[in-house]
Amino acid sequence: MRQVVDKLVTSIGRVLIGKDEQIRLAITCLFAGGHLLIEDMPGMGKTTLAQGLAAVLGLSYNRVQFTSDLLPADILGISVYDRNRGQFEFHPGPVFSQLLLADEINRTTPKTQSALLEAMAEGQVTVEGETRPLPHPFFVIATQNPLTQSGTYPLPESQLDRFLMRIELGYPDPRSERELLSGVNPRSRLAEIKTLLPAKQLLQIQQHVADVKVAENLVDYLQRLVQFTRDDPVFYYGLSPRGALAALQCARAWALIHGRQYVIPEDIQAVFPTVAGHRLRGAGECANQDGDVLASLVLNSVDIL
Amino acid sequence: MTSPVWKIHRNGLFWLLVAFAAVIILHADHLPNWILLAAFVAIIWRIQLYRSAWRPPSRLIKTGLLGLCLAGLVAEYGSPIGLEPMVALLVSAYLLKLLEMHHRRDAYLVIFLAFFITALDALFDQSIGNTLYIIGCLLLVLAALLGLHGSDGNEGQLRPLGKAMTIMAQALPLMLLLFIFMPRLGALWSVPMQQQSAKTGVTDTMSPGDFSRLGRSGELAFRVSFEDAIPSQKSLYWRGLVLAEFDGRTWSRSSLSRFQDSNLVQWYGDPPKSWDQVVDRKGEPLTFSVVIEPTQQRWLYALDTPKPDSEGVGLTRDYRLISAHPLRSKKQYRANSWPEYRLEPQGLSSQHRAVYLQLPEEFNPRTRELASRWRKSVSGDPELVSRVMALYNSEFVYTLQPPLLGKHSVDEFLFDSQRGFCEHFAGSFVFFMRAAGIPARVVAGYQGGERHPDDYLVVRQYDAHAWAEIWLEDRGWVRVDPTAAVAPQRIEQDLQSVLGDETDFLADSPASLVRFRHIGWLNQLRLQIESLNYNWALWVLGYDQIQTAFLRNLLGDNSPWRIALAMIGVGGGLLLLLGLWMLLPRRSERSRDQLDREFLRLCQKLEKAGFPRQVGEGPRDYTQRVAGSRPELARQLVEVTRMYETMRYAGETPDARTLARTIHSLRINRSG
Repeated sequence: MRQVVDKLVTSIGRVLIGKDEQIRLAITCLFAGGHLLIEDMPGMGKTTLAQGLAAVLGLSYNRVQFTSDLLPADILGISVYDRNRGQFEFHPGPVFSQLLLADEINRTTPKTQSALLEAMAEGQVTVEGETRPLPHPFFVIATQNPLTQSGTYPLPESQLDRFLMRIELGYPDPRSERELLSGVNPRSRLAEIKTLLPAKQLLQIQQHVADVKVAENLVDYLQRLVQFTRDDPVFYYGLSPRGALAALQCARAWALIHGRQYVIPEDIQAVFPTVAGHRLRGAGECANQDGDVLASLVLNSVDIL
Repeated sequence: MTSPVWKIHRNGLFWLLVAFAAVIILHADHLPNWILLAAFVAIIWRIQLYRSAWRPPSRLIKTGLLGLCLAGLVAEYGSPIGLEPMVALLVSAYLLKLLEMHHRRDAYLVIFLAFFITALDALFDQSIGNTLYIIGCLLLVLAALLGLHGSDGNEGQLRPLGKAMTIMAQALPLMLLLFIFMPRLGALWSVPMQQQSAKTGVTDTMSPGDFSRLGRSGELAFRVSFEDAIPSQKSLYWRGLVLAEFDGRTWSRSSLSRFQDSNLVQWYGDPPKSWDQVVDRKGEPLTFSVVIEPTQQRWLYALDTPKPDSEGVGLTRDYRLISAHPLRSKKQYRANSWPEYRLEPQGLSSQHRAVYLQLPEEFNPRTRELASRWRKSVSGDPELVSRVMALYNSEFVYTLQPPLLGKHSVDEFLFDSQRGFCEHFAGSFVFFMRAAGIPARVVAGYQGGERHPDDYLVVRQYDAHAWAEIWLEDRGWVRVDPTAAVAPQRIEQDLQSVLGDETDFLADSPASLVRFRHIGWLNQLRLQIESLNYNWALWVLGYDQIQTAFLRNLLGDNSPWRIALAMIGVGGGLLLLLGLWMLLPRRSERSRDQLDREFLRLCQKLEKAGFPRQVGEGPRDYTQRVAGSRPELARQLVEVTRMYETMRYAGETPDARTLARTIHSLRINRSG
């Protein structure tokens, strides 16, 4: 298992230099069967990461560039009258794929954003009164710019909650950046990436994740973490049970990709910021704090024992 | 006008306003009514501001309101010196600030002001009921402070109050500690109270009407506990003031300097003065202790003839007790009294005689004439006295509603109206005696008191009384109470038994429970409350009297460093207990699990070597961190961690003993 993941990481690492940790987290998210939100400034490699993941996993893949004039029908599909046959024919939109890359999701209007909602939550879409199932597996990898950027519509909390993880890429370290600047543009290597993990195997791994053992006292630990976010006045609101479930699922996947059949506290700690970060909002003095800061505050306040 | 940036949230405002109202109500009895009205308006305005229905006051309006308040205060009080105008000023500032709450810091200011104003109320009233109300106010203000920090989102409406109660409960041990050990400091400053006259009780002058005014008040004057049984009612003459100077209408104190003896006050602990020799005390003294309400004056009350038994109390030349300082708060003092005494039997010096025979020339010719006529027709002074008493006994009426008297007040009283209260009788009697050439003086104080079932005496304002003392050859000063001749029940029982039906009795204390003492259960309740308040005054307010002795018993000696040490010791002990209490549950939870206990042992071991585990640091991260700085331990640490993790998290059968052995074998030397 470890080798498989390592291979995936090196492969994507060739196009996204120096971000192995984030790549690993992204893979964890997909193994845990959740949707991924990548947030960072423009030009940090969000799209590259998404494309790399799609390529490595060999999934049928569609990309939608979200713009402010994008309409729900542009994603879900539309029925068009076929004159020859004299009836309406449904033209499926880009959402009918195994991996949907929703690029710059917060550039579009809430109306279009919410069109994705049902798809992400239910694995199906309802167009013109007819419910159509989506392929399996179905992932959404969305990228977004930080909200401080102009021309963005913040995702509502309900939609943020649909994403299992949110990761930030951050600037590369100087060595990676040098490598990036001195070599060829790594993006051109995207085409060279081969499929390493076929969809069937991915589904198997997803089942394995559920089998990873979580000891009683780790559940206690997680409960204490969650309870802290609900009790402490630093938080405007606490983590939902869905958030707690997400953290557990991701910790399992994280343990699995590190070749363990059981979860240790460090697994929870490793995934907690990405799982909880976008689900927490600070209050009082911490009102404007980043989610990651809040998450590490939780981790530094609650002991594992 | 810039719009406010910060907006208080709903729950925060709710508690702030509740606290505000409570603080205003706390001071309501000594604030002018228009401030109460203004406070009400301020609350409404604040609520409307929150609902964005009204606009915040503009600068012009604010200046106007400030001006109005200042003008109102000047109109109400005149001089700004004094406690009440200052409190009123602070309260008006407080309610104006409520309208000006644009930032969080303004809200803080409002809350801190509320704390201060709440505490100020203790200067006015320290009774048990009021103290409880002050504590309630503090609780609400604390809740407001907590409410300010919360948010509407995840808290219930009542949560700040619950939290405030917890905080108050936590502060309780500290409060007790400070109460017991903290030395009481005297006031560094004193501010005159505005309402003194109403609360003073007996004043240092006596004009017709003064004592009947007191007869309308059921307010407490003082309480007395006797070491032995309480003496009979008719011997309870509480001597307070001696009035020797008469100007035709008003009796007033003759200044002590006219005695021309040096050292007119003999303080407790001083060696006896020369004039102490002229009193002849016989028999066993009565020992009693008095808790007196604040009067803003210096004189104290005691039975004849007293000697002080407390620090800061002195005996004056005219044989009454005074305090070294005006009574700004309740005071407790002890004294001894010798009911059998002879005062200056050897004779009066000519100066004294002149003082006690002084009479204004141009008043009361009829009395003077009668006095000199009777003087000639009797054989001796005692006979003259009994003749005057017989006169009072024949026609006179004792009443709270005497008719008004004109210029020759004694004449009109003796010959025309013949209706009066104790001051009329005492005043006219002394006048008559002086006119007949017998040295005499008016003594003012209280007579009697109500026996509480708990064996102490409650003396109220309506017990105020005035009587006479005359000087007789070979006998010295003798107490003569002309009131006793007119209304013996007044002396043997109390005022109510004489005047209970008169409408003026207790007219100034309409809610006083004394009024209802004929209703059994209500009277019982009144006595209970009374007893509670007395014990409160004795043990809590009067604690500084007991403190010295108490600390001496407790600590062996009460030097400051010992007290400080005891405070630090007890406080430290409490904190330690608190710390243990906070740690213990978690410890015991941990000890339930052997594996965790072993892991904690490892943590302790590593901590000793200089690597404490951080909060939230997992075993693997921790041992890796240590191994990073101490590579020689890396192999063992990895092994221990692997063992712990597999047993703990992977569901392998726990084998605490092996783990313990491995951890035990781990040798770490400090220097590394």
